[in-house]
Amino acid sequence: MLKSVIEWTWVLAIFGIAALIGNWFGMDVLPWEAIPGMLILIAVSLVGLMLEKALPFSMPAVGYIGILAIIISLPWFPGSDYVVAWTSQIGILALATPILAYAGISVGSNWADFRKLGFRSFLVAIAVFLGTFIGSALIAEVILRWQGII
Amino acid sequence: MEKVELKTVIKDWRLHAIAFILVAITEAIGQFSIAVGPGVILLLPMLYAFFLGLGLYFTPLISEKNAKNAEPLIILGVTLLIAKIGVTIGPQIEAIIAAGPALLLQELGNLGTIFLALPLAVLLGFRRESIGMTHSIAREPNVGLIVNKFGFSSPEGRGVMAVYIFGTVFGAVFLGLISGLLATATPLHPLSFAMASGVGSGSMMAAASGSLIGAYPELEEQIVAFAGASNLLSLSTGLYFSIFIGLPLTEKLYSIMMRRSERKAAKGGGPNA
Repeated sequence: MLKSVIEWTWVLAIFGIAALIGNWFGMDVLPWEAIPGMLILIAVSLVGLMLEKALPFSMPAVGYIGILAIIISLPWFPGSDYVVAWTSQIGILALATPILAYAGISVGSNWADFRKLGFRSFLVAIAVFLGTFIGSALIAEVILRWQGII
Repeated sequence: MEKVELKTVIKDWRLHAIAFILVAITEAIGQFSIAVGPGVILLLPMLYAFFLGLGLYFTPLISEKNAKNAEPLIILGVTLLIAKIGVTIGPQIEAIIAAGPALLLQELGNLGTIFLALPLAVLLGFRRESIGMTHSIAREPNVGLIVNKFGFSSPEGRGVMAVYIFGTVFGAVFLGLISGLLATATPLHPLSFAMASGVGSGSMMAAASGSLIGAYPELEEQIVAFAGASNLLSLSTGLYFSIFIGLPLTEKLYSIMMRRSERKAAKGGGPNA
């Protein structure tokens, strides 16, 4: 466990540096202004990863991480003002860019598989978006009518 | 998925240096938008980063080994993204509670994708990719869930990435186009479509609700309020909805469909059976 935690910390720190660079170039936030927020995000991720290993439930680490992050940023949680202020220095897209950069590099090795998805996956994606959008609108219609709002 | 040693991943400085440079260049270029009809195609730094990274794989700069080492960075990077989404939701908790049960139930609309898109995916010949593709609308939390559970280079991972990339490139323009079209062409109320506008990312919501306002300017304030609250809710509950309902249901439905097609193949043999 300790070995894993140390290795996770290293990987998260490397990724954090990439995000701070993106945050700096893309959103003009100087890296040292974003470091406290990044440390909080790394700490939350580490706790979530440890909980996934330690607890017997089949919830993935991202489930624990999401709950934990919501709790520590609730208005009535002690110190949440700092959590919110510090993490607001890091843009969501600044985290997404390095993920996609590493993903692009990694996808190369499965490129043959990806190409096979091709045009058919385009059709499925359209069905996914159409299905979700229409499904949501239909349910909203029923409930809004039932509530008498529309 | 085959596990790579994290220790060798950490020491792969060539990979990290290239990733840092990619991020710096693409973020410096910044965002562009191309207007298409009522919507826009958004070109974001993350898209350039993805395609540049992919292109580098075919140059001597990136080896097969570098590419394999990139995977743990994606998985752990996604955990940071989820943490960031979490701390964005916490401060707005009261707005979410006030938005009420109507918004919550509307989340079940996500099931529409499973019943519409999963059969289509299986029909088109996808196997386990179809689970990643159709369990949700494939935004960041859903990608995180699939990558976390099945691995990035699993069939499920490839599936969710295919829909994610489609959504990132065309999601906003696609929802922008169909929301205006459907709201004017169907008997459903525009406010129902306003709620549906919140199912995806912020830019999708902006595009979808924007074209609704174009069609119904007198409802502008209500459309914005409904779409915003729905988006907030998708962001906060979307992940847990996928964990507890969307993904298990998709897997169940998939295995039922697979069993049926196997039985058919075993029974009849020929295409006329």
